[in-house]
Amino acid sequence: MTSSVFDPFARLGLEPRFALDVETLDARQRELARTLHPDRHVGAQASERRRVLNEAMDVNRAYRELKDPVSRAEALLRLRGFEPEATQSTMEPGFLMEMLERREALSEARAKGDLPRVREFAREVNAEFRSLQDRVATAFDALDSGASPAGAATAGQAPLLALLGRLRYLRRFLEEVAAIEDEIG
Amino acid sequence: MLLDIYDPKAPPKAIGIDLGTTNSIVAYVRDGHPVALINCDGQELLPSVVHYADHGQVQVGRTAQSYVSRDPERTIVSVKRFMGKGANDVAGERLGAYRFARPANEDDARVVRFDLGGRTVSPVEVSAEILKSLAGSARDQLRSVGGAVITVPAYFDDAQRQATKDAGKLAGLDVLRLLNEPTAAALAYGLESKNNGLFVVFDLGGGTFDVTVLQLDDGVFQVKSTGGDTALGGDDMDQIIAKRLLASMGYGNGDATQIDVESVPPEVVGLVLGAARDVKHRLTDEERAVIQLPRRDGKGEATCVITRAEFTDAILPLLERAGRACRRALRDAGVQADALDGVILVGGATRVPAVKRYVAELFSQEPLAGIDPDLVVAAGAALHADQLSRSSDEVLLLDVIPLSLGIETMGGAVDRILPRNTTIPAGAKSTFTTYADGQTGFEIHVVQGERELAKDCRSLARFTLRGIPALPAGHARLEIGFGIDENGLLHVSAKELLTGIEQTVEVKPSYGLTDEQVEEMLIDALDHGESDFELRRLVESRVEGERILLATRKALDVDADLLDADQRSRVDSAIRELEQATQSASKPAQIEGAIAALDHATHDWAGARMNRAIKGALGGVAVTAVEKDVQGARGVDVQVAEHAENRTAMSPGSAVVFETGDTLERDDTPAVGAERP
Repeated sequence: MTSSVFDPFARLGLEPRFALDVETLDARQRELARTLHPDRHVGAQASERRRVLNEAMDVNRAYRELKDPVSRAEALLRLRGFEPEATQSTMEPGFLMEMLERREALSEARAKGDLPRVREFAREVNAEFRSLQDRVATAFDALDSGASPAGAATAGQAPLLALLGRLRYLRRFLEEVAAIEDEIG
Repeated sequence: MLLDIYDPKAPPKAIGIDLGTTNSIVAYVRDGHPVALINCDGQELLPSVVHYADHGQVQVGRTAQSYVSRDPERTIVSVKRFMGKGANDVAGERLGAYRFARPANEDDARVVRFDLGGRTVSPVEVSAEILKSLAGSARDQLRSVGGAVITVPAYFDDAQRQATKDAGKLAGLDVLRLLNEPTAAALAYGLESKNNGLFVVFDLGGGTFDVTVLQLDDGVFQVKSTGGDTALGGDDMDQIIAKRLLASMGYGNGDATQIDVESVPPEVVGLVLGAARDVKHRLTDEERAVIQLPRRDGKGEATCVITRAEFTDAILPLLERAGRACRRALRDAGVQADALDGVILVGGATRVPAVKRYVAELFSQEPLAGIDPDLVVAAGAALHADQLSRSSDEVLLLDVIPLSLGIETMGGAVDRILPRNTTIPAGAKSTFTTYADGQTGFEIHVVQGERELAKDCRSLARFTLRGIPALPAGHARLEIGFGIDENGLLHVSAKELLTGIEQTVEVKPSYGLTDEQVEEMLIDALDHGESDFELRRLVESRVEGERILLATRKALDVDADLLDADQRSRVDSAIRELEQATQSASKPAQIEGAIAALDHATHDWAGARMNRAIKGALGGVAVTAVEKDVQGARGVDVQVAEHAENRTAMSPGSAVVFETGDTLERDDTPAVGAERP
């Protein structure tokens, strides 16, 4: 691979689509490991073992990137020539306000040691996280089917970036919920 | 048993060894099935106890165990707890008859040693005695022994693994591989019953607790997450019972919580620990255990009664600690308890009825009980040894790293480069940049752990990349690569991309991250999650504030003439406010407010600077120079916007001083590709 953009989909032999279930991903990692794991090349020459080790690392990296929906979306944007981190998107004030309120309610539940409430948050935000992923998948499909000139593609990207921004927020929130669950659980 | 006919041409047989905290076992594969070998005691389980007699004779197993109360200081039990530990890691709050040798110097202190009176031994040497005894028994029965697989807790770090490997070498074994205990157990179950599916291995041994979630699929064992509590095991149950027994004997004024473990004579400790183990075993089948022990004041014997209900109550806090680690492992694996196809119990402590019941409730299903929990790890080790020695490809193990690896960034925060539960082999790269103008060296500090600040994580390595050409802040590009090979060994490389200056460090397993430390770090991360987060935000806003001040001052050097007197005084006062906030603020919001104020004060000016830069470009200046100017003009307001974005997104990867880089061309270092934290 000489391209400067790492393509995790190609590395795992998967179609570059956002919709991807964990079972498929896990199965691909196992399948590739069957031939690429260093344990399968114990008797090989050092240079060959090194090459295989690098390939196995690439497979595991691709797996890691695709497992997380946020980095999966970023990888897709990068493959389309966009730099998702460099492109700033402003979040809608309504969403920000909602998150702010949620965060307050969460720290209140934490202070009270209200585990059921914290778990309810986990369920609620997880559900939202999943439905948001469906919307991201739809937005990517729309982008793909557009087959539009470069300028239009850039414009088509804007709602996607906003969704991606939300996805990042929710992921961070879920991390916090998990930490609190561990702490008071 | 049929008499084996000795075939002198038969190839050496590979063996699997479960080197446990309480008991050790050696097994091999006969006709495709694992079989435990009979040890010097005529049993399958060899107590992991070593006695060093006066005249230099070394005894292992039951014989040694009989010295626990007679000659406690020369009888080493639970040596596994001390593998890979330094002299300073050994805490004195546990009941134990050990006498530790006082280290002569700092180098000496890197390995803890037991003082036997007249001589000292290291945990590696003690473990080697156990391994020698097992290997000897294997040789007696198999005649020719090949390579060995030795098991270790999944949470063992490099130092502990290295110590175990060294003990194998010292015992004259050819160590094919160290295998994680839960994976070994899964291997035994997977091959016995040809199961496919999602399993959780609940391994409560003598001294450590490990939980692993893994997927079995036609011979591939894919570990999805691993967790644990490395100071939790059957020993802790013994400690609880022993303290109760001591209380009934009259120690601590009859109160188990008041017992000063240091004040109890070693002989008494040996006696009560033995009695406690006995009580624990009896409570597996009986509702109550009655035991007679000598009273402290010498006036006859005390009768101690412990019921199963009392015991169950007393160990509940231990079980809850295990439960917490299990819930976390499930979450890390992205799995619900009801999706599990089976729960595998490993370790003698899982025989305790209360443990079984707790596990069944936790995972909403009865655990599998096909294989003896004491033998299952050795069985898996034997199977793996057999496969490795035949270069068989029936089975493949995909393991993970137990704790996150990262780099310390400016201000002491940690940029996680490889998160915990990353499948090995693994490689990742991250790009950082300089903070100060003309900076010619980078100090690189590699840490392991889940806490947000580097000082709270385990320090693995520190090195400095020197000889970087003096460039303006933010121009140099430093790429850090992490590579972990199939043996779990970490390599770190650092490369300055503009000049190609490169350094590679193999992180040697001398750092001695102890399993207790691993656990402490995890528990700390849970306890300090919120305050860590605040502190990290404060550190980050402070660094960000300083960066913005620097950028503003630079812009003033060049484009101050674009400001009128009024604007200038507003910018100056906003700068002073921010200076003060970065130095003395205790809340990130104070600094963030000052940054926003400076942003406001410089807003129009930034536009004017941008215009000037563009005019310059139209005036026929070379394109590269324009780009540079425009980049410079980007200055304050763009950085403030980025800052605002970073803050509102609260992205953990938004450390501001070091920018995580773009995807990079791969090079030939072992670590490959770029990754965003």
